[in-house]
Amino acid sequence: MKKECIAMLLAGGQGSRLYVLTGDMAKPAVPFGGKYRIIDFPLSNCTNSGIDTVGVLTQYRPLELNSYIGSGQPWDLDGSTGGVHILPPYQGSKGGTWYKGTANAIYQNIGFIDLYDPDYVVILSGDHIYKMDYSKMVERHKEAGAACTISVMEVPWAEASRFGIMAVDGSDMITEFAEKPKEPKSNLASMGIYVFSWKALRKYLTEDEADPNSENDFGKNVIPAMLNNGERMAAYRFEGYWKDVGTLDSLWDANMDMLSPESGLDLHDESWPIYARSVNAPPAFLGTQSHVTHSAFNRGSVVDGTVENSVLAPNVKVGEGARVSYSVLLPGTVVEPGAVVEYAILGEECRIGRDCRIGGTPESAAEEAWGLTVLAPHCTVEAGKAVRPGVMLDRNGEEVSK
Amino acid sequence: MKGLHGIIFSYERRNDLRELGEIRSASSIPFGGRYRAVDFALSNLVNAGVTDVGVVLHGRYQSMLDHLGTGKAWDLSRKRGGLRVLPPFNYQQDWGVMPFRGKIEALSGIRTYLDTIRQDYVALMDGDLVVNLPLADVYESHIKSGADITVVCGNDSFATDDGTYFEKNSEGRVTEVLFRLHRPRGYRGLEVYLLSTQLLKDLVDECVGRDQFSWRRDILQAKKDSLYLRSYIWEGFAAQIRSVQEYYDRSMQLLDPAIRAELFTPERPIRAKGADKSSTYVGANGRCVNSLVAEGCRIEGTVENSVLFPGVVVEAGAVVRNCVLFKEDIVRAGAQLAYIIADKDVEVLPDRTLMGHATYPIVLAKGSKV
Repeated sequence: MKKECIAMLLAGGQGSRLYVLTGDMAKPAVPFGGKYRIIDFPLSNCTNSGIDTVGVLTQYRPLELNSYIGSGQPWDLDGSTGGVHILPPYQGSKGGTWYKGTANAIYQNIGFIDLYDPDYVVILSGDHIYKMDYSKMVERHKEAGAACTISVMEVPWAEASRFGIMAVDGSDMITEFAEKPKEPKSNLASMGIYVFSWKALRKYLTEDEADPNSENDFGKNVIPAMLNNGERMAAYRFEGYWKDVGTLDSLWDANMDMLSPESGLDLHDESWPIYARSVNAPPAFLGTQSHVTHSAFNRGSVVDGTVENSVLAPNVKVGEGARVSYSVLLPGTVVEPGAVVEYAILGEECRIGRDCRIGGTPESAAEEAWGLTVLAPHCTVEAGKAVRPGVMLDRNGEEVSK
Repeated sequence: MKGLHGIIFSYERRNDLRELGEIRSASSIPFGGRYRAVDFALSNLVNAGVTDVGVVLHGRYQSMLDHLGTGKAWDLSRKRGGLRVLPPFNYQQDWGVMPFRGKIEALSGIRTYLDTIRQDYVALMDGDLVVNLPLADVYESHIKSGADITVVCGNDSFATDDGTYFEKNSEGRVTEVLFRLHRPRGYRGLEVYLLSTQLLKDLVDECVGRDQFSWRRDILQAKKDSLYLRSYIWEGFAAQIRSVQEYYDRSMQLLDPAIRAELFTPERPIRAKGADKSSTYVGANGRCVNSLVAEGCRIEGTVENSVLFPGVVVEAGAVVRNCVLFKEDIVRAGAQLAYIIADKDVEVLPDRTLMGHATYPIVLAKGSKV
């Protein structure tokens, strides 16, 4: 079945900088914004952009992700001529390897892509929160007659050296690409979203694979090789909310952004819906003594305490007299009566005993010692215990270092 | 084959649902923040392992068809069996003149369907019943007791519009079938009946031959001595949504944690169609207490003792007390509502005040602008 455009979503990374949150699941499966998981954003963007065929490349701890994606029905990606396909590494008659890098992961799935004989392939990653119409980017790619189009956004000059930076000419064609340059020549940062003409990409992937010195990575190898060969490389300027949620701080930030549509992340806007596989539970209940302000909550939750500036996933319980502020509570978390949770990310099914104190405000600790308090999924804190700001606990309640 | 088959009656009939019932049958009335009444019957059946369910429709069923879809939300979209939507394809009377006069007439309208039922037993249910019934247990006790028909009854002080009531002896055998009582007595029937598929077909054929159409009069009442009718008493929450008052009182009962724990027990989850909405948000100056709130709402004002369906907006300074607000309702800044049931897509303009009373909640029709 011929398709003009399909998407390949790189979802195999561990997300090691999310530490205990990705102990049992790949980063794209990490819950976000109350009812979502990170991967809902690229999947929903695909379906909203008219891309009905998506390959999801998995490798690290795929169970959670696989079962979450299932048939793809929540994103309308269960069509009979395309839909979402999970693509793990595999063994062939001459053996097989893990995905060695982003480019190698696509290389190993050339057979899958060829099934659809696409003109264009969109390469996405599963660690960004944003709403984007990929069809506009493909339009730009076609108009520019490019072999590769990279979406870019302007970042503050001071931060430019943390990104892959593009230098462009007057018609926004890329002239130079530098990965985390010390002295950036522009402030256009790559968002890690690429459109390739499949013929060109197929050729470069094959060459890249044959090069024993290559790390088989798009940013480090394939893109520079294409530039060096004088391929037409277009920049596609994106304006709007985009955040890499690869670190605990940025994940927390993005959750807080969701509470304030002024941040640019407006999930109530239904012209570009983000879909999710939802849990089945009754509506949330806010009790007589509850006090909820500037916060988001979801199905199955019962709040009898105080919740401020926080994001509550489904099935969260906050007991009477408990207080949760500036925190992100993942599904099934229980905060028992009298406990206080501040500036924390609590993993799924965490249980905070009565009168515990978890985390604290930035003012409560010395500047260098302060940080978010993060609890691994299924972590239990016994009644009356305190967990200092900046501390991270694994599922057994043992302290681990960041 | 062994097992239970479900038939849900969702045809239009006389009720006191005012504007809420004008655009839909009682079975598809929104209830409990994210459900439709029929979700409860469907979930009760599915949770008891029922794989085949027929829904009998007649009149104003567009909203119902829309809701049921292929039955996927209840895992009833199957290659074999699953959900069957049953308009009256075998109906012998003049079309569209009036709704069915009774369950027998409804069943005769789908008589050939009854012959296709694979299971040996049938559960008949009404689509307007809100309950979380352990139907597997009802089925087991039906088989064990050797009863011809098991009649499920509630046991609370609630009366319902046009209800059927039963009296029983100490062994549980039904001794009296009562309806149109001025003052209800006995146990309130929940209109849930279990019987063998063969008996059901025999009874329908017999009644149709005599131009009888009423299940409770021509079968239950007429045959209470010749058939073994056995009661199954359900002590928990069971609401029949037949009037605005009943709808309102039953909705407000959901604010009681004990009632919710019973109706939404995780052992028998009530399944419903999902809504693609984001999390609900309460603003910095918002206040929301003692309320059941579905997803995608935005609350900047005050909400107390209310049930909010998905996507409700309560703007700053607005006050909503003791209300049930359906999907996508908007309460503009400064408006005040009390004892209101607002159907879908209602907009209450700024600074308007609308007050009903606990004994006479006001209904705002779908799409109205106040």
